[in-house]
Amino acid sequence: MRVVQPSCLDGALSLLDEPGAKAIAGGTALQLDWARGEPRPDLLVNLAPLLPSEIIHRGDKVEIGAGCTLEALRLAGLPLLSRAAADVAAPGVRRLGTVGGTIGWGAGDLLPALLVLEASVVTTSGVAMLRDWIVQPNGLLLSVQVPVPPPAARLVWRKVGLRAAFTPSIIAVAGAMTCEDGKVSVLSLAVGGGAVPPSRLEDAEADLIGRSPDIGTFEGAISTALPAVDCPFRSAAYRRRVAARALTWGLLAPAGDGRRLEPPRRAPGNSSALSRENEGDRWHIRPDMPGKVAGTWPYLTDLRRPGMLVGRILRAAHPHARIRGIDVSAAEACPGVRAVVTAQDVPGLNAFGIVLQDQPALCADKVRYLGDAVAAVAALDDATAERALSLIRVDYDPLPVVEDPEAALLPDSAKVHATGNLVTELGLVRGEPDMGFASAAHVVEDIYETPRQMHGFLETEGGYAEVQPDGTLLVAVGGQHGARDRLQLSRILGWPEQRIRVVTSPTGGAFGGKDELTVQPALALLALKSRAPVRLQLSRAESVLAGTKRSPMRIRMRTACDAEGHLLAQEVDVVADAGAYASLSPGVLETALEHAAGPYVVPNLRTRGRLVYTNNGTCGAFRGFGANQMTFAVECQIDRLAAACGLDPIEMRRRNLRSPGMPGALGQVVAPSERLREMLDTAAASPLWAPLSGQGEWLGGTGMALMWQGNGLGTLPHDEGAGELRLSPDGAIEVLCGLDEMGQGLMASLTSVVADRLGCARGDVRPVIGDTARTPDSGSTTASRGGFVVWKIAEAAGPTFASKVLALSARLTGISDDKLRIVPGGVGEIGQNSPSPLLSFAELARVAGPLVTTVRFPFPKADYTKGNARFIFASAAILARVAVSRVTGQIRVADLHLHTAAGPVIDLASYLGQMEGGAVQGLGFTLTEDVRMAQGRPLTPNLDTYAMPGIRDIPDRLVVTALEDLDPGDPYGPRGAGELGIGAVTPAVCNAVAQAVGGSPAVMPIRPETILEWLDR
Amino acid sequence: MIRFELNGRPVAVEASADRNLAALLREELDLRGTKLGCQIGRCGACIVLLDGEAVNSCLLMGWQVEGRRVTTIEGLGAHPAGRALMQGLTEENAFQCGYCAPGVVMSLAGLLAGEPDPDEEQVKAALEGNICRCTGYHSILRGALAAVRHQKDRSPCL
Repeated sequence: MRVVQPSCLDGALSLLDEPGAKAIAGGTALQLDWARGEPRPDLLVNLAPLLPSEIIHRGDKVEIGAGCTLEALRLAGLPLLSRAAADVAAPGVRRLGTVGGTIGWGAGDLLPALLVLEASVVTTSGVAMLRDWIVQPNGLLLSVQVPVPPPAARLVWRKVGLRAAFTPSIIAVAGAMTCEDGKVSVLSLAVGGGAVPPSRLEDAEADLIGRSPDIGTFEGAISTALPAVDCPFRSAAYRRRVAARALTWGLLAPAGDGRRLEPPRRAPGNSSALSRENEGDRWHIRPDMPGKVAGTWPYLTDLRRPGMLVGRILRAAHPHARIRGIDVSAAEACPGVRAVVTAQDVPGLNAFGIVLQDQPALCADKVRYLGDAVAAVAALDDATAERALSLIRVDYDPLPVVEDPEAALLPDSAKVHATGNLVTELGLVRGEPDMGFASAAHVVEDIYETPRQMHGFLETEGGYAEVQPDGTLLVAVGGQHGARDRLQLSRILGWPEQRIRVVTSPTGGAFGGKDELTVQPALALLALKSRAPVRLQLSRAESVLAGTKRSPMRIRMRTACDAEGHLLAQEVDVVADAGAYASLSPGVLETALEHAAGPYVVPNLRTRGRLVYTNNGTCGAFRGFGANQMTFAVECQIDRLAAACGLDPIEMRRRNLRSPGMPGALGQVVAPSERLREMLDTAAASPLWAPLSGQGEWLGGTGMALMWQGNGLGTLPHDEGAGELRLSPDGAIEVLCGLDEMGQGLMASLTSVVADRLGCARGDVRPVIGDTARTPDSGSTTASRGGFVVWKIAEAAGPTFASKVLALSARLTGISDDKLRIVPGGVGEIGQNSPSPLLSFAELARVAGPLVTTVRFPFPKADYTKGNARFIFASAAILARVAVSRVTGQIRVADLHLHTAAGPVIDLASYLGQMEGGAVQGLGFTLTEDVRMAQGRPLTPNLDTYAMPGIRDIPDRLVVTALEDLDPGDPYGPRGAGELGIGAVTPAVCNAVAQAVGGSPAVMPIRPETILEWLDR
Repeated sequence: MIRFELNGRPVAVEASADRNLAALLREELDLRGTKLGCQIGRCGACIVLLDGEAVNSCLLMGWQVEGRRVTTIEGLGAHPAGRALMQGLTEENAFQCGYCAPGVVMSLAGLLAGEPDPDEEQVKAALEGNICRCTGYHSILRGALAAVRHQKDRSPCL
């Protein structure tokens, strides 16, 4: 590709006549096109320096230069246009993209606004109306002339997307209306945005001019005039309805009617909310924070060293196909390529998987999803590696794509694995469910569907691998359990584990998505074959394709109660999509079923769950691990039964809540310090039950849900923790722990527990984490188990370590050790209030021999082994107050309160972060996120269509409280915080929506179409 | 050869016409504070300042910055809002995994340079293009507003 900067417009025009030439102004749309796979032009003609960029007011017109950036347009304060510009992309993109570029692109949200204002374009071929020019572009665009609308005109602009801001456009509408003598005298209406061709609604305009403005007439005329545009995300019917309503509402509603609902004026502040202000000296700066803010945090994907090669992975070309042959000879012959690996280079077991080893490191004979790794290359640079990938010839024999998990269970379905498509089937019967249903006063039933949520960690999977001088292989890739990654690599390589070192920290987010192996097998094989350090990081598009996702579930749930609201029976049938490989999905399904009764007494229960292979990507662990999916269904059922009985949601729950000390879901013993009743009392007293005030577009509603979240891996899997305290030669107290810092605050938590237990300062403690060569196997950084492990390391190792330190100090000072204690900075004398210690840790370290205390301990379990059952639980009550738009069917969460009880808080900032972040991730699950698949291909290939919550999607007010006490004698310390925040956000929102609109959503993310249909009933 | 000013110093770098600025910074100029999260301008991890204004460096081709001024997270120390941002975001523990942080910080630096006393609404508007998957944004907002207060404390003439 060449770039030319013509010196004049004539020069530009003749260059653009060359074949393969393309004009560029800001360039942002071009980059998007290339990412979608459009070919890069041979010649880029840079128009930017030639285009005027000013905004000039000329009498009753405004002239906007084609080079004017969209951000400059937003800031110009122009009627309609500046508001429209504010909804195009985001500021960082708008400062690059130009008005001319967006018009030249022929799509985008700005066009309907320009069309409504009767804009004309000035081009090298003369002046034309914009509405004509976009149909038949001619000449280079130089500027846009926009008549200033008369002051009496009522203007409307609205963009509807998949989330609140910076969103792909579903439809954008603009309108301008002037009325005289109660009749519409001037009217212009336009639509555009996304898949909708930009156009004026001329038929509707003609129909409505001269008539009196009336809501029904307007909605009818506009919706008939709209083009029918479908897309995978929203239907044509939805676009019609929303456009008609948004235009009608904007033009006819009384001024100010569209404003947001406000909380009641006297809403009491929540004095118990966790925050820096409220907690004073319990609030500490996390040790990782300065480096993260400064951009110096050492992510494993950022390491470079001389001679380091770049690795790339060749993914499957079909979602389901036999491989007939792979020819890598051309790739190997490509200059700059140092290694090409295929299944033939796998020395050991060509399979991995945490539960079942069903996923090939590199596919040999079959591919089962588009993310399957077929080959990998290491080359001198990225471009060479990419070229080498394109030279690998794979001969495929495509097979039918298995898409629907229920259809996959039928006998005539194609088989994803030779063993059949049913991965696992689980279930139990307790009591006599049929009799329970027979005697019921009320029965509610629905099918709850949950999305294929993507973890969306900002740092995609990656890292580096190299053979170290001593012959061991170092694999440094962000992960969640280094020792298990090492075990899996040792199987693949056929190497003893001792010859492999795995570094897993730090990593840029994981949420369960880095629990399974990701790029480690390819990296290891490339480093061994090339005998050079190799780095590899997935692009986002590749991560979307290859990475594990949350298992979508269809949960059929039937629940019965008597006339007084006492639960009698429940039946649960889950079909879960595993995608192509099992990974941890069997555990996810099992956990979902364990939470099938929630925190309620259900005397008669029948559960069944089936996990099914398909060619829909691959699924595995994700924060919540099945519990949040099941809690969504259970807590919605409870609210529906409450409504059927005429009980309020609190009373319904109170009548059915388990009592402390009752057996758990499988009959297992459960740890003390249950706080469900306290959570329910807090929910009952919540200010959020007061309705939002206001009227007009928005309907308000409040809902709640309880969460009883199991912690740890359960009774069946091996589950141990370990750690070590050590006085290092430089005087730091090192705490060694095999868990990983993924952002959750492991390092802050380790410094907190050790400082608290020993009496030193947090700054005296140095965490050493996530490295199999340096840290013990503390188990996985999953399942809300880290909090206990961290606390237990200090609890178990602290006293012994302290006595070693004090004994040494006694020897050095001659003061008896019972008169000494550890203080910030070193060891001091009891009763002496000296600002500095008698002996600093550095002084001690200089004379100390090895001062080390190592501990290993089991994660607390029940002794139940007939099924996998949790012993430790954390409780929460979530309240949501929502506003639902009558115009778009979209939901805004005005208030979200998370009342949590997870024992003593180890580190306040980390705990608060887990709750807040989990909650907003839960809102994504509820409102916007789903990797929809068609023929095994994701319909959301990147973050342009996969809509994680942005800053405009968050609750206006988010409050987190923590009830920290434990029962007297409870020996189990802090409960897990990682999954509590996400666990019950979904049902709280759904129950609030039900109160607002009278229908309870069962399909996540909530479809605005459904909301509008309910509102129209 | 592309020549521009990077964090106050002139640099010259060879790059093909379609190489984006983010890749140039990370791979040729050894500044890996700038992150790539999506490569299509939809996450904001790569945001840098171009002539003082926050832009997505993955959407800019290297040649487009010829002769211009680029500031990355590595240049934050010399930015007028740098100290206030470091202090405010750090004390509120604004981030978790931190991978979005460089982009968020640079978006805020661009905002504070042009608008020394932004309110919460302006902060939200400035961060519309930055995706954070860990925090749910409230801690970032608290940190940004703390930074605004620190900046005001430092400039009594405001």
